[in-house]
Amino acid sequence: MKITASLQNRVAYQKTITLKKATRQFFEEKNYLELDLPLLSPALIPESYLEVFETTFRYFKESQKLYLTPSPELFIKRLLVEGIGDCYFLGKAFRNSEPESSLHLPEFTILEFYKTGVDYTYMKKELKEFVCFLAEKQKKKHIVYKNRSIALDTVWQELTVKEAFSRYADIADIFDETAFFTKAAEKGYATENTSYVDLFSQVYAQEVEPHLGVAAPTIIYDYPKKLAALAQLKTDGVTAERFELYIAGVELADCYSELTDWKKQKERFKQDALLRKREGKINHPIDWGFIDALRKGLPKCAGVAVGFDRLAMLFAGATSLRQLQLIAFDRDM
Amino acid sequence: MKINAGNIKKGQFIQKDGDMWQVQKAEFYSPGKGGALMKSRIKNIKTGKTLDFTYKSSETIEVLDVEVIELQYLYKDHESLHFMNERTFEQHTLPLSQSGEIVSFIKEGDKLFVLLHQGVPIAVRPPQSVRLKVTQAQEAVKGDTVTGAKKSVIVETGATVLAPLFIKTGDSIVVNPETGEYIERVGKQYQ
Repeated sequence: MKITASLQNRVAYQKTITLKKATRQFFEEKNYLELDLPLLSPALIPESYLEVFETTFRYFKESQKLYLTPSPELFIKRLLVEGIGDCYFLGKAFRNSEPESSLHLPEFTILEFYKTGVDYTYMKKELKEFVCFLAEKQKKKHIVYKNRSIALDTVWQELTVKEAFSRYADIADIFDETAFFTKAAEKGYATENTSYVDLFSQVYAQEVEPHLGVAAPTIIYDYPKKLAALAQLKTDGVTAERFELYIAGVELADCYSELTDWKKQKERFKQDALLRKREGKINHPIDWGFIDALRKGLPKCAGVAVGFDRLAMLFAGATSLRQLQLIAFDRDM
Repeated sequence: MKINAGNIKKGQFIQKDGDMWQVQKAEFYSPGKGGALMKSRIKNIKTGKTLDFTYKSSETIEVLDVEVIELQYLYKDHESLHFMNERTFEQHTLPLSQSGEIVSFIKEGDKLFVLLHQGVPIAVRPPQSVRLKVTQAQEAVKGDTVTGAKKSVIVETGATVLAPLFIKTGDSIVVNPETGEYIERVGKQYQ
């Protein structure tokens, strides 16, 4: 394993630093409090699709397992319950078992911002304002990625997940699971021993995602409820209040109107913990204290998670997250 | 051999929809909405067509054991290409339907890398370039100096190639056998 100092990435790296400064300025002007949070936690929110990094704190013969946080959510929501108000975190997050690729790093920079008293509709505007603020600071009107130029300060496209599947994948009904499986099988996808969420995700990545954000930045919203278990359900009974932002086919941000119902959260925890066990993932302690905190009452709020490195990559005109790193090392796998 | 799609690698041969494909690109992708995915670009061995396909990384796919050996190209008949292993003198045939464009650019006696699956040829691995003698080229018209202008020339295998105007009969040129595109002229000293 070789560790390399890559000063040829200096320009792109500096762009990232400038963007971090602009990010702090934006949120300070909007009266969001910056949070400095631990990266190690003794317990985590169980998430069936993420693997975590495990480490051990040792003192003589005693030891305690600690886990690198895959997102700062568990800390932030506790603070929201206690009444901290609008806040954000800009720092590292860790996801294991994701081999490095142009859009994935096991150790990456995440921006999460939460605003109370609003839902995801408000956050669509807030996110656009944030991206346009960064662009203005960079004196950049366009993002150029893989020979595509996308104007930022323009009308952003908005479409529902249902519309996107109908338009790009020719699947009219995504909510009727049987019909969805039949249609996917006709298209040649392997549908045996597959969950709706996995199959949905596969068709989405193959047929929908490459079209998103190509003509203009695109907000895709209202996901089937199974794909947004931590979001508020809509009254239609089939979707949840979740949106994602895409620019040039790259997923940049994910937003929920946060689920405030602790009973539903608890159910979700149990299901995910069970799934983790079944899949042989690291058996970390479940953060039941998180549920206790929610019981006290999470205020109505919406939160956005931004893949900050990906955003910086687009602003730097790079095509891989590696091109932003001053220090890199090759993994053996 | 069955493996998880999450483990496919560039260069491997896989089976999909009853055809054999070679993996040209395989990149891990985690959408955060479901299980991890493998975004791949695969090339059909028979048709040469490429396809971008997203696999679930947990999906099982059949990886084919493919052996690459150097064979001598003997001749072509109306349905196949015939090859010989120079060490064992064993002969192999590859249907023309699987040989791709390369058939227009190979000469009898050429040594080529052939892909074998269970001892049967499935494809020829095209060399990056082939060197061919021009057997027929019209003289350039004087004064025709348009940069990048091309003309058709015929090479020793009988194929037609678009080449620059300065190419003459008797020149040797380098051609990409996969696309049939002219690459460069071979300098006299190298011929």
